Amino acid sequence: MIWSNFILVLLTSSLLWLFALLLYKKEFLKRLFIILGTACIGAFIAFLWVKLERPPLRTLGETRLWYAFFLPAIGMITYLRWRFNWMLFYSLGLSLLFLGINYMHPENFSKTLMPALQSPWFVPHVVVYIFAYAFLAASSLVAVRGLYQHYYKTLDKKVMLMADNLVYLGFAFLSLGLLFGALWAKEAWGHYWTWDPKETWALITWLGYLIYIHRRYHMPTVFKSSLWILALAFVILLVCWFGVNYLPSAQFSVHTYSQAP
Amino acid sequence: MSIKKPIWQQPWGYAESFIISFGILSIGYGLEWMLPKTPSTLIFPINLILGSCFFILLILSHFLFRKTKTHAFLSSIPLTISLVSVLSILVIIMGILPQIPSPQNGLVQKLGLNQMTGSYPFLMINLLLLIVLGLVSLKKTFPFKLKNWGFVCSHWGLWIVIFAGGLGSGDLRRLKMDVFENKMEWRSYDDQNRFYEMPLAIKLKDFKIDEFNPKLAVVENESGELYEAQKPSMIMIEKGLACDLQSWKVEIEEFYVNSGRAGDRYYKLSDFGAAPAAKVQVVSSQNDTLRGWISCGSFNRPHESLKLDDNFSLVMTVPEPKRFSSDVTFITPDGKKRDEVLEVNKPVSVNGWKIYQLSYDDKMGRYSDKSILEVVRDPWQPYVYLGIFMMMIGAIYMFWKGREKINTDVS
Repeated sequence: MIWSNFILVLLTSSLLWLFALLLYKKEFLKRLFIILGTACIGAFIAFLWVKLERPPLRTLGETRLWYAFFLPAIGMITYLRWRFNWMLFYSLGLSLLFLGINYMHPENFSKTLMPALQSPWFVPHVVVYIFAYAFLAASSLVAVRGLYQHYYKTLDKKVMLMADNLVYLGFAFLSLGLLFGALWAKEAWGHYWTWDPKETWALITWLGYLIYIHRRYHMPTVFKSSLWILALAFVILLVCWFGVNYLPSAQFSVHTYSQAP
Repeated sequence: MSIKKPIWQQPWGYAESFIISFGILSIGYGLEWMLPKTPSTLIFPINLILGSCFFILLILSHFLFRKTKTHAFLSSIPLTISLVSVLSILVIIMGILPQIPSPQNGLVQKLGLNQMTGSYPFLMINLLLLIVLGLVSLKKTFPFKLKNWGFVCSHWGLWIVIFAGGLGSGDLRRLKMDVFENKMEWRSYDDQNRFYEMPLAIKLKDFKIDEFNPKLAVVENESGELYEAQKPSMIMIEKGLACDLQSWKVEIEEFYVNSGRAGDRYYKLSDFGAAPAAKVQVVSSQNDTLRGWISCGSFNRPHESLKLDDNFSLVMTVPEPKRFSSDVTFITPDGKKRDEVLEVNKPVSVNGWKIYQLSYDDKMGRYSDKSILEVVRDPWQPYVYLGIFMMMIGAIYMFWKGREKINTDVS
């Protein structure tokens, strides 16, 4: 069964990353273990895709899996660019947290995929979003780090530049996700924007990061307020991702595929 | 650090911007409270005339007043940030409260919070944003510098999307059509069930549905609710399947997608209303073996479950649709005929209308002879698409370029 494989993946990745943490001074081994652990999750996603005969992107649990895959990948890329060990291991920890949630809340692995989701837009729309979320989550980690430094130490300017770059990448993907969604909706349902609760919250998230970008552009030397905006924007992102299903407006959403019978 | 300047002294900054934005929001709510709610939208040609006037005025005021302090303020980042913040608040309210008309007349309805996109404050903030965004874009476009192309693309793109999407919303028609097999239909209806004559007729030749196989599930006898002590709680039926479902071992001995009951068993049958059925063998945790037939039934055949014990029964779920499509013929007033297949996610354009496969009679399931289509006319769509593609280019530029190196050593 699919689940017995999942616990294997969880254990293997955790162990590999634990080794990476223990050997964090050995540059080559650390990178190797992290990449192997990430590849494990990637292999499981591929396995799931084949088994389910559809892209595993429909339910919250399935998107968490992708998130758990992209976060360490982005952590690694950022590490190669900026050489922050803490960033790398934060992203690994966050990824394990998502794998853990998936293990604690198993879902039905169902092959069914409703006709509305059977579209060439489906995979790019969701993958681009998950990519955006992973970048923006990474940027908010940087923001928390920056706020800590601001209040208790002196703020490293490099931290701010890293936050900016992550937000730029994340925002670019978020915009593409929204725009792909709009084009797909026009092809599938006849209108690009129907103020569905998920759309509404995605727009709020987009506006939040828009404020951050403009603030940084206007006041590149003022850090505190920008960092708070960035931390707050992530809260909205989480509402958009998980919280929407619990809001009174959600009963009218077309995006709640996870409760399918 | 700069010295704090008194409020309302030029150049205006964040304090003034936020006061003005919230001021406009208050005026908007004042209007919403006092003026009667008329669900009127601009339609052609008034929207086109007003839109053109607005655009021309925007360009004129940009070139006439580009050196003034007002222009500098209107195209400033503080005003942008304050307006986007106010808009965010409105959209957050929209994201929490259901956006549906309500017969009640409380505070929510009086302030238009349940119909946000048509309320004065929302429209006023958007209009102001459109002015600010337009002036900023004009400022970066004239004089044009090549290094600004990403900026110009993304900002003009967004401006076009809001402008064309907002003005065009009155001209957008989204109607539904119910077509029945071997019948001709030329009437469509809207949300309020008002009928319209279409400039084309549609004849449904055949409606087809492919379904996924039904699933096995255990339900509680008393409540009829799905029993979900363990996941997976539902497993798709396949020929020869053997699986663990909750505390039972289930084996499929026979399975027919189309069948009917005769005597003590089901036989393969391709009748109108034939339903899926399976013969199962169930072994409980106490090693008791049960055998029996289950079926999800159809609109004219009963469903059948297998009682496992006093508390639980094994059932077959109603199959979910995998694909549904309509073979149709379009007939236009000039007498031309066109055969097409309509499918979800694959609309067809005829005579300026886009036709979408929407739904069918779900009580009849795969025996439905009714296909529900959506017909859409959106003359402003090409302009919105232009904006969307410009924004995409802007996003790719942003991804590629990243944050430009900024001089953070000013202080």
